[in-house]
Amino acid sequence: MEDMLEDTVLVNLRINGKLHELEIPAHKSLLDLLRDDLNMTGTHMGCMTGHCGACTVSIDGRVAKSCITLAATLGRAKITTIEGLTQDDGELSPVQQAFWDEAGFQCAFCAPGMLMCTTELLDANPDPSDAEIETALAGNLCRCTGYQSLRRAVKAAAKLKQNTREAAE
Amino acid sequence: MGEQKSETEGYVGQSVRTIEGRAPVMGKATYTNDINFPGQLHAHILRSPHAAANIQSIDTSGAEKVAGVVRVVTGAQAAEHIDPIPHYIDPAVFGGRSASIRCLALDHVWCFGQPVAVVVAEDKRTARYAASRIVVDYEVTTPVIDSEDALKDDAPMVVPGWDANMIMQVPFGGGDVAQAFSSADRVIKTDVKVHRFSTQPIETRTYNGVYDAGTDSVTLYGTVQNPHPLRNVLSKILRMPENKIRVHAPVIGGAFGMKMHGHPEEGLVCFLSKLIGQPVKWVEDREECLLIGAREQVHSVELAVTKDGTILGLKDHYLANTGAPSSCPGWGMAFLTGLTMPGPYAVTNLDVQLSAVVTNKPGWNASRGYGKEVTALALELSVDNAARELGIDPVDMRMRNFIKKDQFPYDSPTGLIYDSGDYAGVMQKALDAIGYDEWKVKQEKAREEGRYLGIGVGFELTPEGGTLPGTFVAGYDSSTVRVAPDGSVRVLTGVTTPGSGNPTGIAQIVADELGVRLNTIEVVQGDTTTCPYGFGNSSGRSTIVGGGSAAKAAIEVREKIIKVAAALMEVDEESVSMKDGIIASGDKTIDLEEVCYACYTRAYDVGSVIEPPLEATAMFKPGLVRHTPNEKGQINPYPSYSNAAYVAISEVDVNTGEVKLLKFSVAHDCGNVINPILVEGQACGAIMFGIGAAMAENITFDENGRQLTKNFMDYVMPRIGDVPSIDLSHHDSPNPVNYKGLKGAGEAGVGGSAAAIVNSVNNALTPFGVMMTETPLTAPRVWSAIQAAKKAQPQRKVA
Repeated sequence: MEDMLEDTVLVNLRINGKLHELEIPAHKSLLDLLRDDLNMTGTHMGCMTGHCGACTVSIDGRVAKSCITLAATLGRAKITTIEGLTQDDGELSPVQQAFWDEAGFQCAFCAPGMLMCTTELLDANPDPSDAEIETALAGNLCRCTGYQSLRRAVKAAAKLKQNTREAAE
Repeated sequence: MGEQKSETEGYVGQSVRTIEGRAPVMGKATYTNDINFPGQLHAHILRSPHAAANIQSIDTSGAEKVAGVVRVVTGAQAAEHIDPIPHYIDPAVFGGRSASIRCLALDHVWCFGQPVAVVVAEDKRTARYAASRIVVDYEVTTPVIDSEDALKDDAPMVVPGWDANMIMQVPFGGGDVAQAFSSADRVIKTDVKVHRFSTQPIETRTYNGVYDAGTDSVTLYGTVQNPHPLRNVLSKILRMPENKIRVHAPVIGGAFGMKMHGHPEEGLVCFLSKLIGQPVKWVEDREECLLIGAREQVHSVELAVTKDGTILGLKDHYLANTGAPSSCPGWGMAFLTGLTMPGPYAVTNLDVQLSAVVTNKPGWNASRGYGKEVTALALELSVDNAARELGIDPVDMRMRNFIKKDQFPYDSPTGLIYDSGDYAGVMQKALDAIGYDEWKVKQEKAREEGRYLGIGVGFELTPEGGTLPGTFVAGYDSSTVRVAPDGSVRVLTGVTTPGSGNPTGIAQIVADELGVRLNTIEVVQGDTTTCPYGFGNSSGRSTIVGGGSAAKAAIEVREKIIKVAAALMEVDEESVSMKDGIIASGDKTIDLEEVCYACYTRAYDVGSVIEPPLEATAMFKPGLVRHTPNEKGQINPYPSYSNAAYVAISEVDVNTGEVKLLKFSVAHDCGNVINPILVEGQACGAIMFGIGAAMAENITFDENGRQLTKNFMDYVMPRIGDVPSIDLSHHDSPNPVNYKGLKGAGEAGVGGSAAAIVNSVNNALTPFGVMMTETPLTAPRVWSAIQAAKKAQPQRKVA
């Protein structure tokens, strides 16, 4: 009898603020860990080769493609997924809100990548140019929108974040 | 945005937010692959590595020895339990050759990637590994790859038992073609080769079959555009009655035709679940998704023209390489290409002939545009070539030949009845939006600086809402509107959404017709058990027939509410109004909830004026369709004819062959618009398909018919930086018979935009004499064309 059993690795991951201690096989991708072990299905599988971006999460503050990231390599990483963008009180983040308001998505299968990358972009650069938006979203394929509504949504998110900041001050 | 709307108008015509709400941006929308059940098993399919071969034997013992494997099934074993897959559109219905398609190959494979055996295991990794342990002994035979080779006398037969590699040949046309060609000043021939490309939604196909032994019934959760028709197909495959089968389509991550049924895996997971007694899921990987082809056609268009550019006649005998037989409706695209000739042009002398050829490439499935995109490419490239030969402006040539707006309804020479349109007006709007004449000046200036700008136009006619007799492409659809005792509304409809926003459009229509607030409406779709019978999503039909039927149902329910409200207020029915959930008569008002509650609870006094419950089901069947053949044997399968004009501005780097799109405009006629922001999304998405088609997306094979295109590095789809800003305007001529004058949005964009881009590149390279009519225009191809043109015309002085 052939068996696929193999050695496991212990990882400590803080995902959307919550600590997960998991024993996983060394080959497991972060995408499979999120979806299959933790039932966090907001992060999507589109290609498993790192080209489409539907599996994008944030690892220690930088966006990454979870389908080509081995979970066992992450040690004590802090991970944010699309589910972690919603604020604790249930309010949508400005980026989420703007993408809904502006009909940014159609099928929204690419939403994890678009939202994670836009969030990272606007955290670093509150008023991005068209070229900077293109660079930030270059790793994410969308097949529905022709990207026009995504550009509009990113700009609206920047404005909404600005307004939220001013209101807080 | 949001719920707000102007006081005088209703929701229809407003860019309201999508009613799917927060879920998609929170990662809470449930797609098929997000659903798992207790005891969930996973299937992996072993596929043929050969384009054509006989299966001598299959040894599954290696796979069965892998721990965690539950079952291994070969084609021969499956055939004991399940029957062939009924065709979505059976060629036999139209007099063509029909093949028997099985979920797993029996003793012969006719394309690379054809399913041969399946492994079910406790996890997907084990299933994949175990499949690699199956040993298949193939006797490899000579494949037919090219459509012209397939028609040679000595060509091997793709389908055993056929006498030709041909599904069917269909002539389209009429008039006096010989006379037109003999009286023409010039006959200009253009060979247009359209390559194989695909829709590739980011969500791949996924099916989860769940058998329940207690009731001997099966539920398929899947990426399914047409749940009710698929239920009928599954009943034939599984030998089960339809009332024991449920098809449920959760949220879908894009479809564009690819998730129309006929795929082997749909029936397979249901059969495996029944065989094993546990849920079985199959998730397509990207390499598998890329096997599904479309659109590959070779055209030879001859235009008989006068010196001033009037088209007197058109000949085009074309070949469609539809790959191996499939039960999916893809092959029918080839038929629509001919039927839609000569597009927007008032050409009555027409000799068009389709040859739908089978080869040993994988089969097709429906793809956005459904063949009409190839019509646009063939026509628009030919018209540009003719305009160049005649030395006239390509826009002038189109304007001269367009059907005039006072000619509608227009009888086309192929038997279609175009409902309405103003093609010259649409074209002019697209030109004005981009500043056509200014770009001509910029182009001159750029050439002086050694830069090559190109201006290209394209026009596309996309008949929408199609229906074919004797198929589940049925044309009509139905919806139920239910108002609960608390006044909240649920709309259940037979049309489905691939993520395009049609539930929002349908809700806007119901909100207006019923007189309630949009945020009190839920729309339920994609479930054969809860939704009324319907035909799902195809052919830009969802808002036409889903919206039309929901409107009729809403009007019926509204009448009931008004009657009871009048009884409660003790006023005349005629004096009662209902808008935004407020019911009023003169200065009296009454709460919607109070009236609805009375409708349900007071059937013996004030409620006795109606029949409860507050529910109605209605059907909408668009007009203009003619299924009874005319004297020439022609039918008109379409109720409405959307159309659009495109202008592309590109810049070609003549040293590398790279093409950069600078600007794009489109003017679009999809009838009246329910939600402008959603229609814009459809148009921009379709244009992106056209950009990919014109410039990069391509599925290629080696000489043995093995597919070389395996992932998104091989299949290059547009990214955000490849798509310029798109200037969209509407030029709407409402459909005379459809609800609200709707025509359908979503299909227009692929062919017309691709044609505009190709034309812009040829326009940019006019100084070199380059005229490329084979897609896609990849940088190496453009560079080679420039080099070849330079060599052919060394004497030509290049600016």
